[in-house]
Amino acid sequence: MAHAHDAHAAHDHHDDHGPAKGIGRWLFATNHKDIGTMYMLFSLLMFFIGGAMAMIIRAELFKPGMQLVDPIFFNQMTTMHALIMIFGAVMPAFVGLANWMIPLQVGAPDMALPRMNNFSFWILPFAFTMLIGTLFVPGGAPAGGWTMYPPLSQQTGEAFPMLIFAVHLMGASSIMGAINVIVTIMNMRAPGMSLLKMPIFVWTWLITAYLLIAVMPVLAGAVTMLLTDHYFGTTFFEAAGGGDPVMFQHIFWFFGHPEVYIMILPAFGIISEIIPTFSRKPLFGYDAMVYATASIAFLSFIVWAHHMFTVGMPLAGQMFFMLATMLIAVPTGVKVFNWTATMFKGSLSFEPPMLFAISFLFLFTIGGFSGLMLAIVPADFQYHDTYFVVAHFHYVLVPGAVFSLMAAAYYWLPKWTGHMYNMKLAKAHFWLSTIFVNVLFFPQHFLGLAGMPRRIPDYSTQFADWNMISSIGGFGFGLSQLLFAYIVFACIRGGEKATDKVWDSGRPQGLEWTLSSPPPYHSFETAPEVK
Amino acid sequence: MNARADLPPPRPTPDAAPAERVLELMPHRSLTPKTARIFVALVAAPTFAVALMFTAQGFWPILPFAGLEIGLLAWAVHASMRSGQERETITVSQDSVIIRHWDRRGVQSSVFPRHWSRVTLHAPPAALHPSRLMLESRGHACEVGRFLTEDERRSLAVRLQQLVGNMNETPAL
Repeated sequence: MAHAHDAHAAHDHHDDHGPAKGIGRWLFATNHKDIGTMYMLFSLLMFFIGGAMAMIIRAELFKPGMQLVDPIFFNQMTTMHALIMIFGAVMPAFVGLANWMIPLQVGAPDMALPRMNNFSFWILPFAFTMLIGTLFVPGGAPAGGWTMYPPLSQQTGEAFPMLIFAVHLMGASSIMGAINVIVTIMNMRAPGMSLLKMPIFVWTWLITAYLLIAVMPVLAGAVTMLLTDHYFGTTFFEAAGGGDPVMFQHIFWFFGHPEVYIMILPAFGIISEIIPTFSRKPLFGYDAMVYATASIAFLSFIVWAHHMFTVGMPLAGQMFFMLATMLIAVPTGVKVFNWTATMFKGSLSFEPPMLFAISFLFLFTIGGFSGLMLAIVPADFQYHDTYFVVAHFHYVLVPGAVFSLMAAAYYWLPKWTGHMYNMKLAKAHFWLSTIFVNVLFFPQHFLGLAGMPRRIPDYSTQFADWNMISSIGGFGFGLSQLLFAYIVFACIRGGEKATDKVWDSGRPQGLEWTLSSPPPYHSFETAPEVK
Repeated sequence: MNARADLPPPRPTPDAAPAERVLELMPHRSLTPKTARIFVALVAAPTFAVALMFTAQGFWPILPFAGLEIGLLAWAVHASMRSGQERETITVSQDSVIIRHWDRRGVQSSVFPRHWSRVTLHAPPAALHPSRLMLESRGHACEVGRFLTEDERRSLAVRLQQLVGNMNETPAL
């Protein structure tokens, strides 16, 4: 401790000291744990709202013919489901995890800019109130797809400016979150923690934040141009005025493909934390994992046009984007190999986080393989805008990103709350989720290969059986998540006391496990030394 | 431990007695001003490259958003570096304890009589809250080490209790 002239480290000197009372604790929160908690609870709420929309979609598709809703409302549901799940559920959940874990893992007292952290969270409820509010305005919610392609999106009714403003707010929140994360990682690491000593979750978030900062202005500019085309007479994307609607697709996917990796790179980090703990071995190929993550991030900038092969482009362009897309399989393969090698000859145990991590490993790989199929230009002409694409990206995002979030929740929940959760219920949740997610999405491959288009409320009778099975899987998966919410809230309320290490047999690595469970209100206000 | 070459720690007051003990607390920052500039440039380069590429195609509204964003990043790095310049020193001399806190608003200092003060570690007001280490004398109080961990704060409390108070004895500094 302190000796004469010893320099002691690391406090971010806030005016607040301890939380305010009542609602003020949350409204004026600057503590990274409080804000991380709010992000994650908000994302859980959005997960259920977006999930309820998915239930409407699957209920309508349960049988051929129009059952429950009119086609316009169905299209509103598909659009809103995507926007809410991407911007409201998955991204805020990862930002919440970053808030909770990055200061603990790099040995910082808090995030670098605590007040901006508060602001970036509190933008979100306004953004999503506005977005969900579009359901109640004349013309209803946006129905042209989450990609907002013009000229279709320009036909949106009074919801149009609300959609654009909501997307701007979500983007502003993401940018502020990313800047906070990147500054915290770059400037507030504990003494001795060089970049290549950082936990892999921190690395993946550093690269994710870099991606976010690079592409978010593109989204903001794109939706602003939609707005000016609609209201101010510009013709960026209107062919009648000399504009190019296809260029919107280029601009959108220049943002959109890195966005996909923004939603999966932190998932890679989570899995890379969990598998070594429950394999009782260090992560195989740490450096290779870092370089693979950076490679995936770089490649994400040069593959955008694989989302739009069918709009027509020169053969050289098709070849370039096909081959660049296939290249992504190399660093992703490195990761899958390293996770498998970490488990090889490990002393494995199968607690809920590990179960979800292994499930991620298998099912995300299926999503990766179907992505490779879609990368092949001639095949993509067949698969494009079919349910095969729906199956592909849901395999990447649900048993990929969402399962990693559940794995993270089960891994760190005892550290956050100080309580162990009900293991039996968590394992039941795992098995129900894993079985139903496959019942839900695997048949959609068959539907797509058979030619069923996406974004339709009705379909030919030859698609009936697999759609019914898919819907049953959807209802099962949706109901299973109520169990997840119960487990989380029961754990918050109480339970068996968790030890500081939590997973004692698993020898978890990382600074967060050196703190008490739950960690004190301010984490490392004197920087720990990293050996 | 964490002293940075570019920001020399504040010096003790010139009139301090030669026999004194100075406990110095400072935040740690990983970046130096030079590496901070390089870091902002490395983030700004691809962001502006992308924005300029689209601007060249006529889609200029992307550029102001890129500028705003990089401006925010530059401010964030600057604010983080500036907050790293805070300092707190506890100078224990033969007769007094001087607590100084440096931040962007200037210097705040409190002086306590060494043998007529009390070091008290107050329990956390609620779960998850930190304890508070107070130096108190004649109705005047000052919190110290509020940015330390619980263990560090307890160690500091023990150290200060050896040095402060105890009017019947004067431990060596």
